[in-house]
Amino acid sequence: MCSVYMNMVCGRPFPKKSYKLNAEPNGFKRHGENEYQAMFSDSEREVLINLTEQIIELLAERVDHAHEDPLAAMVGITVHDSPPEDEVLLRLLPNAYADEQASSEFRRYTESTLRDKKRAHAMAMRSNLINAGATAIDLDHEGAMAWLGAMNDIRLALGVRLKIEDSAQEHLELLKPDDPLRAVYAVYTWLGWLQESLIQALMDDAPER
Amino acid sequence: MAKTKSTTQLDEELKAIFSNDRLWVTVVWDDPVNLMSYVTYVFMELFGYTKEHATELMLKVHNEGKAVVSNGSREEMERDVQRLHEYGLWATISKEEL
Repeated sequence: MCSVYMNMVCGRPFPKKSYKLNAEPNGFKRHGENEYQAMFSDSEREVLINLTEQIIELLAERVDHAHEDPLAAMVGITVHDSPPEDEVLLRLLPNAYADEQASSEFRRYTESTLRDKKRAHAMAMRSNLINAGATAIDLDHEGAMAWLGAMNDIRLALGVRLKIEDSAQEHLELLKPDDPLRAVYAVYTWLGWLQESLIQALMDDAPER
Repeated sequence: MAKTKSTTQLDEELKAIFSNDRLWVTVVWDDPVNLMSYVTYVFMELFGYTKEHATELMLKVHNEGKAVVSNGSREEMERDVQRLHEYGLWATISKEEL
């Protein structure tokens, strides 16, 4: 796992200027009992909308109608029981059992629902961003959970592409300024920081149970 | 009424004790992307654990590479794993090792 300290994510400095992000980022703040607010610049909003759209597209049902059973599809059973071949999808829709057969069986009955739930998180985040426009994003607890899930899925996806396999990220620190992955890494780091700000805002008022 | 209820509860308990169906666990595995605070918060939110207990489990995952976060029937564990997957935690179901 990875921890965030102030402007650091996993011990890396927070790249304020590398993606035209807010020079003075505020992140999420709690307002009142059950309200979480954040302000984004135009370019930040654009980046976030773009990323949610990519996740929504990525998580769309596998298009393979060759032997689709319409009745099974209606009740949410997919004909797919093999793990996704794409590395990113496999991380978002992981195996539930070490045993291959048990895993396939579980996937057949649950993968479609899991895709829908993840897409719903990303869609909620996208419509919040579009509806808020230049005004502050205002989330209730349910909205905050959707954002947490969606931001995490985006970070997982970027993490696979950036080959973040352990807490050492030297290969990313040494990227040349013109390497396109450098911008991806900046967004990844920024998202981690944004997610952390929302978690801290939520934890502030988490009732002791 | 009360007697019937408690008898039913006892029956359920006894059935559970003698049934193999309780011996399943949900295991969460460490991964380098998920934030420590996020994993803690997901445990609190999904399982209703206290912050202390959730932090303890998160640290176990972080330091030992994995931790058992819940146990129960296979059906219950499948539900837990599905919810953990929904929030991007890397979780699997397995038979409890006695």
